[in-house]
Amino acid sequence: MTHHVIDPPKWPLRFLRFFVKKEYLEEIEGDMEEIFQDNVERFSFRKARRIYAWEMLKLLRPVLIKNSSGIQQINQYAMFSNYFKISLRGLLKNPLNSFINIFGLSAAIGICVLLYAFAQYTFRTDQFHKNKDVVYLATFLANRDGSEKQFGITPRPLGEMLKEDFSQLRKVCRVQDRSVIVKQEDNVFHESIRYVDPSFLEMFTFQLKWGTSGSLSDVNSIILSQEMSTKYFGEENPIGQSILLKFDKERSKDFKVTGVAQKFPEARSIDFNFLIHFDNLRTSEPSYDFQDWKEFVSATFIQVANPADIAAITARMIKYKNFQNQAVEKDWAISSFAFEPLATLHQHSGTIRDNISTSSDSNYKSIIFLAVISLFMLALACFNYINIAIVSAAKRLKEIGVRKSIGASRKTVIVQFLSENMVITFFALAIGVLLGRFVIVPWFEQINYFSTDFTLNDQTLWVYLLAILLFTAIASGIYPSFYISHFQVVNILKGSVQFGKKNPITKIFLTFQLILACILMTSAVMFTQNSAYLEKRPWGYNQAESMYAEVPDQLAYEQLSAVMAQYPSIISISGSAHHIAKSKTTAVLHLPEHEFEVDQLSVDANYFKTLGLEILEGRAFNDHEGSDKQAVIVNELLVKNLAWQQPIGQQFRIGSIQYEVIGVVKDFHSSSFFSPMNPLIFLAANKKDYRYLSLKVAKDEMETHKALQAQWAKLYPEIPFQGSLQEDVWGNYFDQINTHGKFWRGIALIAVLLASLGLYGLMTLNVAGRVREFSIRKVLGADTMSIARIITMQYWSLFTAALLIGAPVSFVFLKFILGYAYEYHMPINYSGTVIAVSLLVIVLVATVSMQIRKLLRLNPVDGLKVE
Amino acid sequence: MKKTKLGEFEELVLLTVAALQHDAYGVEIKRELEERLKDKLSVGSIQSALKRMEEKGFLTSAFGDATQKRGGKRKRIYSTTSHAHKVLAEMKEIRAALYGSMPKLAFDLKLI
Repeated sequence: MTHHVIDPPKWPLRFLRFFVKKEYLEEIEGDMEEIFQDNVERFSFRKARRIYAWEMLKLLRPVLIKNSSGIQQINQYAMFSNYFKISLRGLLKNPLNSFINIFGLSAAIGICVLLYAFAQYTFRTDQFHKNKDVVYLATFLANRDGSEKQFGITPRPLGEMLKEDFSQLRKVCRVQDRSVIVKQEDNVFHESIRYVDPSFLEMFTFQLKWGTSGSLSDVNSIILSQEMSTKYFGEENPIGQSILLKFDKERSKDFKVTGVAQKFPEARSIDFNFLIHFDNLRTSEPSYDFQDWKEFVSATFIQVANPADIAAITARMIKYKNFQNQAVEKDWAISSFAFEPLATLHQHSGTIRDNISTSSDSNYKSIIFLAVISLFMLALACFNYINIAIVSAAKRLKEIGVRKSIGASRKTVIVQFLSENMVITFFALAIGVLLGRFVIVPWFEQINYFSTDFTLNDQTLWVYLLAILLFTAIASGIYPSFYISHFQVVNILKGSVQFGKKNPITKIFLTFQLILACILMTSAVMFTQNSAYLEKRPWGYNQAESMYAEVPDQLAYEQLSAVMAQYPSIISISGSAHHIAKSKTTAVLHLPEHEFEVDQLSVDANYFKTLGLEILEGRAFNDHEGSDKQAVIVNELLVKNLAWQQPIGQQFRIGSIQYEVIGVVKDFHSSSFFSPMNPLIFLAANKKDYRYLSLKVAKDEMETHKALQAQWAKLYPEIPFQGSLQEDVWGNYFDQINTHGKFWRGIALIAVLLASLGLYGLMTLNVAGRVREFSIRKVLGADTMSIARIITMQYWSLFTAALLIGAPVSFVFLKFILGYAYEYHMPINYSGTVIAVSLLVIVLVATVSMQIRKLLRLNPVDGLKVE
Repeated sequence: MKKTKLGEFEELVLLTVAALQHDAYGVEIKRELEERLKDKLSVGSIQSALKRMEEKGFLTSAFGDATQKRGGKRKRIYSTTSHAHKVLAEMKEIRAALYGSMPKLAFDLKLI
């Protein structure tokens, strides 16, 4: 064999021997070797090796591969039915353990069902629109202070021009939102209405309950949402009834109800209260210029024949960009147009400014939270199962020994344990689904005030549940079944197998559970603390003693302020064009080096005093007409962002006017704590622009507020009052925050319950195994303390370790979560962790003492008689 | 014809085995076919065709001699069965008949 200096590589051969049928092996090995030697002569050694390996891989063909099934073709039905019987008996024999296992798993599965319900709700947003893939929202991108931003509004003439210029466009719909007063008999309310092109109801799939959608093409028609129909007409069919819209002081118009929409699907980002024809703008607002590129409509939607057309249309939008940029000032130049498909609009609308759809960004965040919690819960439940299975297997050793000695292989024992596990998980799944459907999901909907439209009649749900069933059954069963099946028959039957007590894995799992429980407990405590904190967090001004009312014009402002001035409880009155938390506008500051976008509020001189805004440097506006026209007051954040050392006297340009900073106001929250503070400027408002009247009261806020409403009703009986205490301007913000606390408390309750049940079950088994030992100790005179010490000895180090790891981990975890979930949250300190850990310790001590008490009350005679 | 089908590639391999007679073992079949087809073939494709045809009863096989080049492994020599010859002849006939009915049309088309 001397000329055999060159050998083919070894690993492909091993691979071949592994998979090819034995009877073919000699021939194929020989062929391969021969070809290899040929190739070595023809090519380089390396290439020959490469070909050899590659050819080996290509030998993987069904005809050549070993039969994996072998001889296991016997009917296994009897065996599995025996396993099933044994598992049921096992379940009934240890009711406590079965309860802990099944309850734990079903609670975890219930939370997985919640995750599913919420995710399907979020993913389904807007998917009910038949044209969701061919309807697009026209948006534009514009550079404001250095970064490209997307805007959902569009120049007014764009929609009409697009329709004429592009043959690919099937439909175009402009949407203009306005606030009007709606009057129907004695019902008078402020409402927001949508002026839309008649194609609105063709592009969006909103089914009508009554009436026809085609009626929208009549300028005298109005279509109502179901909610509005109920509000104005009760449960009756209102078709043909008339309804009066008051657009402003002089103009109003009677409309005929020609349609009522069905209840909107819950998961939607666009809906409406009232729809009227777009052309009504011609009569309701004579100054509304349809051809003005400087002005915007609330939204323009287009519908194409084929989604592929969008690229071609976008490419030709440059023409309109030029139109737009010629019309507007340089500040407002845009960089391009873009189209957002309706199907995914809800995912992106959080980043599109001024757009009429609601965003589901926070829902996507919540899905991540729920997924993490579901995993935690499943882990907790699986650990319970594993621990109990391992410890209780001591009682089943004989059974395994017998099975093995009459011919069961290790594999069979593993299959037996896994299928037993499948039975338990299946029960848990059934209970968990019911728990999810009838308890957890309704609870979640109730604290969040919405409905997920969740039903069990959903194919994907069952696929998901099947996946959970398999995952849980295998994750929880694989270790116990391998562990239990590995004992030697001889040792089992001799009784020399010792295990359970000293298994380190059991301890590790218990530690893990306690850490998870600690994390969830800390979440509950910290979220609760946080909502208490946010309720007290200062808003940066005096929201408690002020209130506001909206006024239609300067005259109304003057009349109202004259009457209100006579009330002794009122300290100051102020008028403004915008109002904190209610309205604002944006402006672009031109500084010598760069441009900077800010929020802008136009107010009068009294505004700072009335709202309790604190001037840190400089002064407020002067209180006489016409002064301070070029003065601005800025907030601290703006000073900080522009890194001004000396803010007073700084100058910049807005549009063509030069302004000078005369004062700095302390930072305040102009919207709820969910959104970040923005750099902001105050300008002196023109009297004719006054739209808000604000009051500061010394006492009796509620009385004054009522008086304000009453005076308004006297002055303007036709216009409903709009205004509130300043404290109420954030709407249900605090309810939402409290919901977070409630949610985490619910989750923590389940988690701690699971962990302590697991501990309880584990201790019960441990104590049961040592009942004789304890009985003897008692007979010999052991006292309470020494018995307690002996039982708990092995757990103390474990608890300590779990809490030592759990506390810092949950601290870091919560710091991250709070930062992720809230723009502003409480300063994080150790108190939350300390409270959580103490609560956990109390629960643990309670669990342990229940066991000790049981043991102390045990009559030693009974203990000695066991078995 | 109906029961045991012969694929196109299988037919080629079968014909090669018939042509090679006593030399018909894996490597030789591959070499011969590669030459005629002017294309690279993998051992896997030849082997699986051989094994499939053996199962279908077109081929029989027996171990031959071992060489040093083969690392001391024996060859497996394949030989065709009479059934195979019958099927091959049938296929040839069917093909010839089909070709016979084709030329008219083809030439007509070419002339245009």
